[in-house]
Amino acid sequence: MSDLKVQNLRRTFGSVVALEDMNFDVAEGEFFCLLGPSSSGKTTTLRAIAGLEELDNGEVTFAGQDITDDPVQGRGMSMIFQTFALYPHLSVEANLAHPLRRAGLDSQSVRKRVGEVAELLRVTHTLKRKPTTLSGGEQQRVAIGRAIVQQPKLLLLDEPLTNLDAKLRHDMRAEFKRLHRELGMTMLYATPDQLEALTMGERVGVMRDGKVVAIGTPRELYETPQDKYVAEMVGSPPINFLTATGTADDQTSVPFLDHSVAAPGIKQDQPVTLGLRPHDIALANGGSPAATRFTGKIHLTEPLGDVTILDVNTRDITIKMVLREEVAAKLSVGEDIEISFDPKDLHIFDQSTGNRLNNDAGK
Amino acid sequence: MARKYREIGKAGWGYTAITTIVGFIYFSPVFWIILTAFKTRRDALAVPPKLFFTPTLDNFMSVFYRTSITTGNSQATDMGLYFFNSIFIAFTSVGLAIILGTLAAYAFSRFPLKGNDTYLFIILTTRMMPPIVVIIPIFLMFRLTGLAGSYWGIMLLYTAFNIPFSVWLIKSFFDELNPEIEDAARMDGSSERRVFFGFCIPQILAGLAATFVFGLILTWNEFLFALLLTGVETRTVPVAMARTLGGEVGVDYGLLAAIVTLFLIPIFFVTFLLQNQLLRGVTFGTVKK
Repeated sequence: MSDLKVQNLRRTFGSVVALEDMNFDVAEGEFFCLLGPSSSGKTTTLRAIAGLEELDNGEVTFAGQDITDDPVQGRGMSMIFQTFALYPHLSVEANLAHPLRRAGLDSQSVRKRVGEVAELLRVTHTLKRKPTTLSGGEQQRVAIGRAIVQQPKLLLLDEPLTNLDAKLRHDMRAEFKRLHRELGMTMLYATPDQLEALTMGERVGVMRDGKVVAIGTPRELYETPQDKYVAEMVGSPPINFLTATGTADDQTSVPFLDHSVAAPGIKQDQPVTLGLRPHDIALANGGSPAATRFTGKIHLTEPLGDVTILDVNTRDITIKMVLREEVAAKLSVGEDIEISFDPKDLHIFDQSTGNRLNNDAGK
Repeated sequence: MARKYREIGKAGWGYTAITTIVGFIYFSPVFWIILTAFKTRRDALAVPPKLFFTPTLDNFMSVFYRTSITTGNSQATDMGLYFFNSIFIAFTSVGLAIILGTLAAYAFSRFPLKGNDTYLFIILTTRMMPPIVVIIPIFLMFRLTGLAGSYWGIMLLYTAFNIPFSVWLIKSFFDELNPEIEDAARMDGSSERRVFFGFCIPQILAGLAATFVFGLILTWNEFLFALLLTGVETRTVPVAMARTLGGEVGVDYGLLAAIVTLFLIPIFFVTFLLQNQLLRGVTFGTVKK
């Protein structure tokens, strides 16, 4: 059993608290993503698990053993760093061979294993070269190769795609998924990019100020975010937030609607924040209920190819919505459109605590 | 980078002409000294200076063998020993300073103490005053401890003088390195010692070479402390050079020039060997990788 358990981690740098009450588990063979903005403690968490960072408090358990105070060497894990951290004075071959040599393999086995990994990652042609002469994508693949060459039980990935361009990021996301499937190792992946977390992670832990504030599958986090922060972190384009008040129990006002709509969990006069995903807003048609119809003026369009993001102004509020390209192509900026949404898609958060109120909302 | 560097040999006539002139101005005194070393006494003192003359090796001969005016016998001078002293003392003390400085710089860079900057500043203060200020206390200390006139004494002093500069320079090289590379090496199973010797040092070799050459040039040419703290056996070339002034026949310019010319050779050789590293060393951190 090679599961990872992180309990009550605390790490401070002077007066700055980097980690506080950090808790999460990763199951054996799982692809777990830590999603959080920069300086939310992702890197510190990974470094703590690797043993590169001293902890003020807390425990790291790996494969059933407390490894909190073990030395960095010999933890049976590897890490891919944001900067790739290839050894600039060694050839690609020597880079890949280094973990094996330290593990004491004989040179023939080393050569064989390096060859296999180079083949797997398609860097065989670069073996004799120095890392600085490689392209970004090649460097990244060599970094992956060096991390997986000794078949670690746990692979830590610290924003490995940050230094790559958009096209390469896309390719590498698929590459990571492929490697995870083929190698079956546990992966812990830190990223500030919700797209990476949602597309790759089997489960995602959302981080805020040195804490994991929510854990769930990408679908759970997207469909029923437990608070306003998670709703904001997950989903692209970002969720629309609207300020509203309960008009009666289980009824809320909506700033751009004349009528109240159903909102389970809400109390009369309770100030709330409503969340409405851009994907949950549609052009009104004959079937749309009159209560949630409203008119808005198109302020801005961002065509993305298959879909278009529209900024729509209605009663001094700008909301984002997403339309399929062929629908959006018929519309132009400045045009008034009639749109609607299903009140069931509303995410209702308490205005002061940010906690989700409609927990029972089945979609 | 706004534009690519010019290729070698494609600087254009303007740049070439200017650099040639500047180079000539800087090199001309050296050239004059080297020429003088090959001149007879008459040619050396000729006004205007002669550019064309019959070269002679007499001056170089008389560096090592002198004919006494009074007895007419030829006898060996101690110049060979002084050259050995200069080389031995300079290389050993700069080498020591680099070793100690590298260890200190690594510690300052990677394991900062409380008040790290203060310690670094204190180290630098030893270089803030002119050396002549401390010469009397140091001279007395050396007399008292018996270090005066010994190899150990002068080498320790030069080492001490080279350490601050080495620590500062080498620390800046360590600071430039990506610490994630060291972390990666640790995770791959390298011990702390291997991280230092196998990953940090190889990355700053150019910087170490530059530091070595700078330290060597400073130490090589040092005169004041060498004059006061070396003895007959440990005298260095700059001191010996000064002692040729005056004496039996006034200033022997040919002899002086020959010593200077020989004195240039070791440092020229080292600098030439390390010139690639030197260039990378001095531009370390100033050029974005």
